[in-house]
Order: sequence, then C-alpha cells, then structure tokens
Amino acid sequence: MSTAIACERDPRASPPAANDALAPQRGGTLTSSIRAEPRTFNRYVHPHAITEWFTKLVHAKLVRVNRTSDEIEPWLAEKWTSSADGLEHTLTLRDGVTFSDGTPLTSADVLFSFQAVYDPKTASPIASALQINREPLRVSAPDARTIVVRFPRPFGPGLRILDNLPIYPRHKLEATYRAGTFADAWGTATAPGDIIGAGPLVLAEYRSGERLVFARNPRYWRRDDRGAPLPYLDRLVVHIVPDQDVELLRMQSGELDTPYSEIRAADHLPLKRAAETGLIRIEDLGPAIDVMGLWFSLKPKPKPDPRTAWMQHEDFRHAISLFVDRQAFADTVYLGAAIPTYSPVSPGNRKWYSAAANAGEHNPQKARALLQRLGLSDRNGDGLLEDAENRPVRFTLKIVPGNTPVERGASFLRTELAKLGVAVDVVVVETLAFIDQFFKGDYDATYWVAQQTDTDPVINIDYWLSSGHGHPWNLAQQSPATEWEGRIDELMRTQAVTIDFAERKRLFDDVQRIFVQHEPVVFFAVPRYVVVLNSRVANATPAPLASPVLWNVDTLFIRQAR
Amino acid sequence: MSAPFARYLARRLLFAVVLVFVAASASLLLARLAPGDYARDAAGVTADPELVARLRARYGLDQPVLTQYGRWLARAATLDFGTSYLYGTPVASIVVRHAANTAILAASALVLATALGIPLGVFTGTRRRDTVAGTVVRGGSVLLLSTPPLLMSLVLVFIAARTHVAPAGGMSSLDVKAGIVPWIADVLTYLPVPALALALPLAAMLERVQSQAMREAMGEPCIRATMAKGVPRQRLIWRDAFRLSGRSVASIYGLIVGTLFSGSFIVENVTSWPGLGRLMFQALSARDVYLVGGVGAAGAVFLAAGSLLSDVAAAAIDPRVPAEGQRA
Repeated sequence: MSTAIACERDPRASPPAANDALAPQRGGTLTSSIRAEPRTFNRYVHPHAITEWFTKLVHAKLVRVNRTSDEIEPWLAEKWTSSADGLEHTLTLRDGVTFSDGTPLTSADVLFSFQAVYDPKTASPIASALQINREPLRVSAPDARTIVVRFPRPFGPGLRILDNLPIYPRHKLEATYRAGTFADAWGTATAPGDIIGAGPLVLAEYRSGERLVFARNPRYWRRDDRGAPLPYLDRLVVHIVPDQDVELLRMQSGELDTPYSEIRAADHLPLKRAAETGLIRIEDLGPAIDVMGLWFSLKPKPKPDPRTAWMQHEDFRHAISLFVDRQAFADTVYLGAAIPTYSPVSPGNRKWYSAAANAGEHNPQKARALLQRLGLSDRNGDGLLEDAENRPVRFTLKIVPGNTPVERGASFLRTELAKLGVAVDVVVVETLAFIDQFFKGDYDATYWVAQQTDTDPVINIDYWLSSGHGHPWNLAQQSPATEWEGRIDELMRTQAVTIDFAERKRLFDDVQRIFVQHEPVVFFAVPRYVVVLNSRVANATPAPLASPVLWNVDTLFIRQAR
Repeated sequence: MSAPFARYLARRLLFAVVLVFVAASASLLLARLAPGDYARDAAGVTADPELVARLRARYGLDQPVLTQYGRWLARAATLDFGTSYLYGTPVASIVVRHAANTAILAASALVLATALGIPLGVFTGTRRRDTVAGTVVRGGSVLLLSTPPLLMSLVLVFIAARTHVAPAGGMSSLDVKAGIVPWIADVLTYLPVPALALALPLAAMLERVQSQAMREAMGEPCIRATMAKGVPRQRLIWRDAFRLSGRSVASIYGLIVGTLFSGSFIVENVTSWPGLGRLMFQALSARDVYLVGGVGAAGAVFLAAGSLLSDVAAAAIDPRVPAEGQRA
C-alpha cells in the first residue's frame, strides 16, 4: 500500500504574494551583499554558509523546505508516493527540466549526486545530513524520471532530508569524480560558465573581494501563474561587504536592496528613520529560530581543577538562571527587541516549540541559597564568593569575535554575575581557535549558538543525543553521563523513527521539559528577527532562517519606475 | 654609482631577501601552529572526527609541522609557494593579483599623503608657532594622527554613502568597458575613499616630521649664513632648508610603507578593496597556511622595497649615509 502525496498548488507556478498587489515586472537588477568570500562553489565539499547561500541561488533539490510554511514542497521532483511503513519513497522528476547549459536533468544526475556525496573520498560534510542513524539512503532509478529512495529505518522528518542535497550535473562533474579530484571541482577559481545548475540563476562573474554577479538562468523550469518564465530579475549583484556597519550605510544610501542577513537590534532605530523616508521597509518576522545560550564544559577536565565541583554542578547553572533578570537581559543586549526565554527551542519555531516547557523564574534569593548549598559564600567580605577552601568563585567565559549580541550578552552576564558574587572573565578567542578548544573541552564556559539552523529537531539530532558531535556541553559521550541525558537520548531516538507528527511533537515536548529542568545550556532571550529591504523590492516572503530574503529569489521582482 | 654605494645597495638587497624569507616562514609556521586548522573549517563545527581526519590527510595537515614546512621550503626554492586551500590555485597567482590592488591603493595614498603632508609641514615649520593657520594645521594633524584607521574609514564611507560623491566600496563598476584606459578611469572613481582613509593619517605624520625637520634646518648655521647674504626667503626655504630637512623625512618613508600595509588591513576590509589586507584576514580566518605564508612574503616585499627606496633616497640626499651604514 502506498500513499500519494497530493500538492494543493504546484510550486512551479508561483503567484505574487498578497502584500504586493502590483503585477510582477520582468527585468532589473537586485543588489545584495555577503560578508565573506565564498570558500568554494562546491557544496558537497564545504559547509561554509556562503557556499550554502550560493547553492540556493544556482542549484535545485528534489524537494524544498518552504521557509515560510516550514513544509516540504515538490521541487525537481513533481510528486512522490511513500510506502505505508514510510521506508520507501518513489519520486517522479518533472518533465523537461534541464540544467542551465541545456542538458536534461535525469535520474542519472540524482544517482550521481548521491554517489558523489556518500563517497568517503569526497569527505563531504553533508553526507551525515543525508544519513539516518549513520546509515546512507539507498537510491535507485528504474527510469530517467523515477527515483526510488529507501530509508534504512523509518524517519520522522521523511523526505525533508532531501532538502540537504543539491542535484549536480553528472555530465559536468563525473570526469573529476572518476579522476579523484572532485573535492577540487568548482573552486572559486572556476570559470563561472563551467558551474552548471538547475536553479534560478547562473553565476556570470566573480570578482574576488568585490562581488558576484548572477544572471537569469534562461532554462529555469519554474513559471508564474500567467505562464511567464521565472525568475523575473535580469540580474542579481552581490557585493562582498565584510563590515556590517558599512553594509548598513550602503543599505541606507540605496546602494543595497537587501543585506545578507537579519539586522542587529542596534540598527533598528537608524533604519526606522530611513524607512520613514520611504526608501526602505522593515519587516519584523517575530522571534528568531536560533537562540544563544550560556553553557559550561561538562567534559571531565584534562587536569584536576578544584572548581569542577561547583562549576559543573547543575545547581550552579540553576543559580545563574534564577539570578539573571531575563527582561533586563533582553532590554540591554537586544535593546528590547527580544523576548525572555528558558527553552532551547524558540517560539519562532512554531511547529516544535512547547510553551509549557518554557518555564522558569527570576528569584535572586533562591539563587543565593543554591550557591550556599554548594558551599559557596563570601568568606572574606570582599563581595565575591569563595569555596570551602577559600578559593574565589571565578570562571572564564570564552566568546568568539565579530558578533555583537554575543559580545553584549557576555558583558551583561559578567556585570550581573558580579552582583551574585561570581567573577567572570570574558575572553574573546578567534573562531577556529575556539572551536579547537571547544572540541577538547578546554574552556570553562561559553556564550554562543550551538544549534544548526533547521526547525526539525531530528535534522539536528546531534545536538540532543549524548553521543552527538554537536552535543555542545559534553560532546560524543560513550554512554550518557547523566540519567536525564539518557532519557533525552531515548525520547529522541523514538522520535526520529516515529512518523506520526502528533506523537513526535509529544515526545519532543518531553525533551524540552527535561532540558529546561536540567539546564545544560542556560538561555536568556530570543531576539526578534528583523529584515530590511529597499522599497523597490516586491514579492518578497522573508523567513527567519539563512538567506531570509533571497531564499525565493526566483519570484522577487523590482518595481520599476514608469 | 660609487663603490661604497653599490656595496651599500647590495647589503640592503640581501637584507630584503632575508626579510622576505623570514616573514613568509614565520607567517606560515604561526598559522600552522595556531589552534584550529583548515580541515575543521572545511568539515564544519559539529563534524564527525573521522571526517575531520580524512580532510586533514587530504590537506597534508596530518603531517608534523616541520615535515610540512620542509616540503614547502623545497618548493618555495623553485618559487612554488604551494596551493591555496581556499582557492585551489597556486598561491603566487592569487597573491600577485591582490598585491597589485594593494600597490595601487598604497601608491595612491603615499602620493596623496606626500602632496598634502610635505607642503603643510614646510608651511608650519617655517612659521611662528602662534599663527592661526599653523595652529589649525597642527591641530588637524594631531586629530588625524589620533584617529584609528577603522574610524577614519567608517567616517569616509559614511560621507560617501550619504553624499554619493564617490562609491562607498569596491574597486570597479559593473559593465566597465574593456581596455586599460576605461579601467584606469573606473578605478580612479573608487580610489578616493580608501586612499584618503590611508593617506590622511600619513599626511598628518609627514606634516609633523617635515615641520620639525624644517624648524631644525632653519636653525642650521649654513641656512642662517645664506639668509644673511640676502637670499629671498622662499628660495631659502624650498632650495636650501627643504633639502637639508630631506634626510630625516626620507628615512621615515620606510616606516610609512609598513604603516600603509598594516593600515590597508583594516581599510580594505571596510571599503571592500580586494587587496592583500583582506586576503590575509581571509587566509588567517580559514587557516589557509600556504596563503598566509604567501601574503606574509608579499607584505615583506613591500616593506623591504619601501625601506630600500627610503635608504636610497636618504643616500641620494646625503652622500654620508652609505658610509655611515658601513661603519654601523
């Protein structure tokens, strides 16, 4: 028995959004920015955010996660059926889809893409995102338009997993793959014309350090409701602007139509003034998806450290959580553009957020009592706490540079915790150096964001599982270090193989409840996700995830002067 | 060319070669020894250790530091500085392209700084200290000298973005016509913001040094004697005192090249100028060790060239310099 997936509306045809009553206009150049150079144009070999962003513009996937509805929608695959046990999925490719060079896109390209990604020689960082319980999907192609994907076990997110794989052209890359040089293919020195995709745009020019210029893919497969070919834009020019302040200035002067990502809280006010002139418009998308938090390394310390007794104790984290006034945190760090939170899941993740689990209190007396219970008190009257051996209660909070909320958050915590008698030394460590220390557990505490950006918890399962490499406070445990981590493991493993959404939600609500109860990461506030666009940009449907505006670049258009 | 001067030049050239070698080696080794590596960057923060290990093997990062350095040295002897992890192409070609952009920016800034700083220095150095004009120039110089390059760049970008008098960032226009003349004309429109950001503090430095040197020169007995002979003041200043002040000013040009290079690190980032400063930042962020070594070498070439030119200029102004250098 199989279940046919019926689509209410074919995304091949995309009407303008309701907020733009204007009929779509063809032509024009949209300008945007990125803050770093692309490392490579080959998504299979690098996880860099800019490479992922590039992939969204130039390549296409079998199915796509719609960033506003958070549901998967048919993309290169126009339809599919799934077996009742949820293990086998048969997808049908759209008829007549070609790559930008005119070569038909067939199931052979899909098979090649899976083969290249799974090959250990490729050492692909996305291979693990295409595995279920560390086992690859089995993929076959009975004919040129049919692909059969078999899961090794039932998988809650279902075909959402395929959103991780851009389909690459076999005819262009097979030779390098066979030669064992696939990892070098589509580097940034590649001639733009050699990068072929089935996405809405093609790379026309890359000037290192300056800009990328994209042109319309004349063979793109999507059409609008009136049957006009997409994308509407003639060109997308993306300037490389490393400094966010300069990005803001160029936005205000009309040089940029939309920046790379959301804007910082401190930029809301100056941009509001620019919005009053009608040059730009600001869209508040509600709470962001990712939440920053404070966590302590709970890995056993390589060298004996007498502070471990209190620093790795659950009550110490609870004391911090109870002491910090979250509203004050939101007002100071995000200038009020944030909401207090206790949960690892943001209210912005509407599908998975549990309001019931997001509970806590601001209670400084209780915080002091907890510290007292840990044997920490002010023994010499200097205003700072000491342990039983008269050693000061002091820890180092390592943060990475270049992130204003992180810097402000760390500074706020240092000031607040000093009032509790806890001394915090904030140390800024260069990102790769910090990642190295993070993996070795060579840090006391950090304030950072550790989750990857996807709303489905099973896609980020490494964060939740005690054995996961993304389980930030105590990575890759052989067996769960605590009883409650064991319970979360069990719930997440069950959740991962459960197909029924309501049951998955119930299980994940439990995970959130246990998490907040034990606070391995202490969360304080979730910022509002605010994007800015030049008023001439129409038909945008921004979403609070990476590439908030350009994720649907094919349907954006420019209001042209008449 | 006299024999002492030729020997002096040869010594300076040898020093330049050693400087380039030491700078490249030190940059590469420091980047390699710093925590974190390109394999981690390429694998992602939460990657499986097995994947990271495979990538380390691919990029040769599983080898001991000295082995990797030894191999690089052997290749560098044949002017092959390795392949950039980031770009997948030879380091030399990337560095040359970016160095050319930095050279355009630095040369423009140097010319601008000289054109502004030297005449103003002569002006303030030959006037009484209590004149209004002199006080304004001195005050402006102190203000510019105490403005960090980041702030100066941001202020100029702000002015450019608000007034549209010049592009706020980048180095070239879209659809610029082919040919060297349109290219030069196009680049010239993008130069004002980064060149001024680099040039203004240098101009202030030159003004201060030139002013002091002029004041000292004007007090020299030979100048006083010439003055007593009734030589017109302007001729005295620009022909005699200016030449006399030249040695101390010329000697700081070597330092200025170093300042230009370090200043470009920030200015290029803020103004999106695709030069060595930005390339170094990018290479360091990703631990692209060969590229770091290449940029380090290019920076040292700039420094050595600047210091050589400054020495040659000082020697040309004052023939005693090579002899002094020899004694030292």
